Amino acid sequence: MEILKYIGSFFVLLGSIFLFLGALGIYRMPDVYNRLQAGTKSSTLGAMSMLLGIGFLQPDWMVKMIVIIIFIAVSNPLSSHALARGAYRAGLSLFQKEKIDAYEKDYKDMEDKEL
Amino acid sequence: MKRAFILLLLVVVGWVLADTFSQINFGESRMGDIKQQETVGAYYLNNTVEKLSVANVVTAIVVNYRGFDTLGEVTVLFLAASGLASILYRRKKRGEHDVMILKNSSQLLQTGAKLIFPAILVLGAYVFIHGHLTPGGGFQGGAIIASGFLLMFMAYKDYHVSHNVLTWVESVAGILFVSVGIWGLISGATFLENVLGTGTLNDLISGGVIPLIYIAVGFKVAAELTGVLETLLNFKTEK
Amino acid sequence: MIFNIIFFSLLAIIILAAAIYAVVQKDLLYAVIATGVISLVLSIYFFIMQAPDVALTEAAIGIALTTIIFVITIRNTSRREDEIPVNKEPDREEETK
Repeated sequence: MEILKYIGSFFVLLGSIFLFLGALGIYRMPDVYNRLQAGTKSSTLGAMSMLLGIGFLQPDWMVKMIVIIIFIAVSNPLSSHALARGAYRAGLSLFQKEKIDAYEKDYKDMEDKEL
Repeated sequence: MKRAFILLLLVVVGWVLADTFSQINFGESRMGDIKQQETVGAYYLNNTVEKLSVANVVTAIVVNYRGFDTLGEVTVLFLAASGLASILYRRKKRGEHDVMILKNSSQLLQTGAKLIFPAILVLGAYVFIHGHLTPGGGFQGGAIIASGFLLMFMAYKDYHVSHNVLTWVESVAGILFVSVGIWGLISGATFLENVLGTGTLNDLISGGVIPLIYIAVGFKVAAELTGVLETLLNFKTEK
Repeated sequence: MIFNIIFFSLLAIIILAAAIYAVVQKDLLYAVIATGVISLVLSIYFFIMQAPDVALTEAAIGIALTTIIFVITIRNTSRREDEIPVNKEPDREEETK
């Protein structure tokens, strides 16, 4: 079963590269919303890929790893969405407000509704 | 003047502490020779697997060898939760609107919270039922269940856990813990002695009364922390 | 061996910096987040020293529950540390005059 070890090591390496790129993105982005996007996307992919690689390296743990991957895929984007909504409602400014602010019209229309 | 005095006191206390801690060699093994059982730690390590057949040594020490201290710790948790509730709890009348969370969350968060919440409950129950096999136990499982309830409190503004249910669960779990100890007294041994037979290693039903005590502690901690969170979230000062 | 020393001292420096920040900062919400960071790094430390029970307890209670209880308390009292009115006692010199 040598091929499984090679596949597992490849996925672990891919996961660590994406995690490093995510951390670099959080450091270099100019705005809260850009930082949230960089952090969530690449760190979710990095964590899921690393867990898949561990599942290949130890085939007994594969079912547990798939359950954890599903949980991360459901909960990580949800928490980033909640953070971004909270940041917009608290009034944090965008980096280039004149070019793109697609939420502004909807936000003014729905002051009293529950969304 | 007062700042100079405080600074002098901090320097003196810090010097005494640093002097004491520098005479201990951190990282050195202080258990002696484990085979010859020179210390208490070596006794626990040698006899947990053979005599108790429990795989998790930390659980065996917390529940079996030092079970009375765990009873004291559960009492301290109970005192903290009931003290907080006695000061801050208000019975809400119908139509009263002063709560902490004023709006529901977005549709995305509501759906996601409804999906994840049963999984978190199952995880917490798994952690405290398998306390004698895997790392974890009663306190950890209870904290995980309380954070699952916190997710539901944050997502829906009208989500309430009935205060009666929490009170009953907490009280019954506490009574179960003490009655396991009294069962040891009735059977002729000491308080909280392990009176059930120990099964084989790595079975779910093994280790005597250790799973029973940890299940009771898990329910009790979960009910207490959920009650604390609900009391705090429904309390709003008049500003 | 040298990797161990660098890694452990890096974690210790993070804990120290977060603790000093939590004491000095006047905006209390930022200080609470710093306390959460201390609990997170402490939980990593416990796990590296081969104590998974303590790491699980510290992660579940220190990061989630302690932070949320502090945030609710700050919501009920005040957000900044230096705007709480303090009732000053009248000076002794003014009474004897």
